[in-house]
Amino acid sequence: MRVTDKMIFQNAAANAAKSRDRAQTAMEQVSTGMRVVHPGDDPTVAAMMVRGQQTVDRMNAISQNASRAGDEVDAADSALQSLGDVLARARELAVQMGNDSYSATDRAGAATEIDGLVQQAVTLMNTNVNGRYIFGGNKDQTAPFDTAGNYNGDTAVRQVEVAPGVLEDSSVRADVAVKGVGGGVDIFATLQSLSTALKTNNGDAIRGSLTDLTTSTTQVTTTLAHVGAMGDAFATAQTLAKSTSDATTKNVANQSEADVIESSSQLALANSALNATLTAAAQSFNLSLVNKLGG
Amino acid sequence: MPDLLTILNQSSTSLAAHREAAAVAGQNIANVNTPGYSRQTVNLEALTPDQLVPNGWIGRGVDVQSISQSRDAFLERQIPNAIASQSSSSTESDALAAVSALDPNAPGGLSSALSVFYSSLRAVAQNPADPASRRVAVSSATQLAQSFNRTSQAIEDARNGLDDKINGIVNEVNTDAANMASLNAQIRTARAGGAQPNDLLDARRQLQDKLTALTGAQPVMDSQGDVSMALPGGTALVSQDRAAQLSTIPDSSNRGHLSLRITRADGSGPVSLPTSAAGGAIGGAIAARDGTLGAASTSLDSLAFDFANAINGVSSAGFAQDGTSGHNVFTVGATSAGAAGQITIDATLAADPSLLAAASAAGGLPGDNTNMNAMIATEQTALAGGSDPETTFSSIVAGFGGASQRAKAMSDQDGALLDNLTNLRESASGVSLDEEMVNLTSAQRAFEAMSKVITTADSMLDTLMSLK
Repeated sequence: MRVTDKMIFQNAAANAAKSRDRAQTAMEQVSTGMRVVHPGDDPTVAAMMVRGQQTVDRMNAISQNASRAGDEVDAADSALQSLGDVLARARELAVQMGNDSYSATDRAGAATEIDGLVQQAVTLMNTNVNGRYIFGGNKDQTAPFDTAGNYNGDTAVRQVEVAPGVLEDSSVRADVAVKGVGGGVDIFATLQSLSTALKTNNGDAIRGSLTDLTTSTTQVTTTLAHVGAMGDAFATAQTLAKSTSDATTKNVANQSEADVIESSSQLALANSALNATLTAAAQSFNLSLVNKLGG
Repeated sequence: MPDLLTILNQSSTSLAAHREAAAVAGQNIANVNTPGYSRQTVNLEALTPDQLVPNGWIGRGVDVQSISQSRDAFLERQIPNAIASQSSSSTESDALAAVSALDPNAPGGLSSALSVFYSSLRAVAQNPADPASRRVAVSSATQLAQSFNRTSQAIEDARNGLDDKINGIVNEVNTDAANMASLNAQIRTARAGGAQPNDLLDARRQLQDKLTALTGAQPVMDSQGDVSMALPGGTALVSQDRAAQLSTIPDSSNRGHLSLRITRADGSGPVSLPTSAAGGAIGGAIAARDGTLGAASTSLDSLAFDFANAINGVSSAGFAQDGTSGHNVFTVGATSAGAAGQITIDATLAADPSLLAAASAAGGLPGDNTNMNAMIATEQTALAGGSDPETTFSSIVAGFGGASQRAKAMSDQDGALLDNLTNLRESASGVSLDEEMVNLTSAQRAFEAMSKVITTADSMLDTLMSLK
């Protein structure tokens, strides 16, 4: 091929530009650490980055929600544990006062303690977490139980997302667990009738209340098991959300971020290629008959 | 028997020829860097003999028969197509590479705004009565609407920028086409004088290449030696010594972007020019503007429209904290046209976050979150367009990225082809200093030798004169 002077210069310029472009790309990858910045760099990875970002954000939101719901469930758990203690104490008193050797005065004293236990139970069932009453169903802005133990909440069970599109109960129905709706016993009524029996010094009624107290304790224990399972579900949801989010982050990073070692060696390679191109160009510029023909 | 005066005479003609050869070598050397210059070659020819001597004919020396340009017709034929493709694909590729609104990691981009919106809805779902999370949800909805606006605006800005570019190119094309038409006329006149106007031909070829790069027009040579330029589809841009004029007019059916018109070389028109008739840089700019960016803009509008309607559909069925229903989250036009640019948060909701409809029944207030859960479920539900919001957006990004990558690959490929062809053309037509130095030196030597002939003939004459 006939090689003209302009070709020598143009080729030198074009080759140097290509080498510089490669060196610049390698430089950018090394300094930003990103392989994909513009969607055109790698359309598939760009789409994956978009979806990955969404997955990470979604999982983080789910994890936060599960953590908040978990706090409420923990509070419900400890409230129900304490309610179990209240019932155990009431049962202890009922067993003790069922013995007719106790006087009416003794029983009246016990009745006062039972009244105190009723108020303690009301306080427990009105537990408030971050401004919401957790035993009121959807009526979470007003106290679900009044001092007489009447239920003012509703029958709803709140649900929170534990995985995309999967909902898990985050509250229990206090009307079932405490007020005995659907075949159970009304714990407040049981305590109140025990108190009445003690005040009226009625030994048979005191002993008779033991059955309902036993049922009440079972009712609370059953609810506690449910609450415990809910707590586990939220703990698992947090762990799962965290691991999904971490795995997605890692996956996206693998695809979209530049491998530091590889990009560094690319950079070194591109720089030495550029150097070689420039050296070759400079030498080819000197080779011309013009320089050899002496005057 | 040749007489000595004839020798002197033939020597002067030959001296002139070698001087001309040296001059052409000089012209070639001077133009070694001139764009579009084609190497010129002196064609020497021995002059026909007119003297018969007893044993044969004696020539009359040498003369310049012609000065020709070195061109390879085969290469010249391929170059216009390569120029048009390269110019078109590099314009498109550059335009798309400059759009950063759809970068997957763009801070405050649509992708992150979408997930922030849903995250804030999740917080409301966990505790619907909490005014703080409602406030956050409303502000993230505002942010999402603004992010739609900004992304759409960035794409429209890029399209407007291409309009400016098209206008600039049109002006350049009109000047160049007029110059080319007048060069056709000048070349015709010069040729009538008998010689090849090599430098005018170079100038015309340069304009021809430039017009091809700008519009994709292809040269058409006719028997008179005029080169006309035909746009893709056949409309003449330059017709012999007359040029057509391009102009632009806003097209209301395409968001006011410019469409092309042409006033024909015969003065008729202007008539509208179909986009298929524009190649080169104009074609690439239009392809980027209406093809890839237009598609991204339309898909974004559909996404905004479908998404807003899906959210509003769930929202208006639910109940706000005050027990009323029928509240929207977003305000969007009646059709998807321009939806991404127009979408805003519902004004009453922006003023009162308690109107966010979290409950699905008035009886469930204030803690009911079932409608909010349904709203969150839209994240995974197919929109009217066929995919869920996230997949729709990621496919917009992938579609744009794919087009951008394709344009880049085409541009690289077309660039390599054009480089190769121009290299070959340069190889055939370019000036080699080595060669010209040799030509110059050989002309110099011939000149010197010719001078020697004159001196010799002179001394022979002297010898003759001194005979007594």
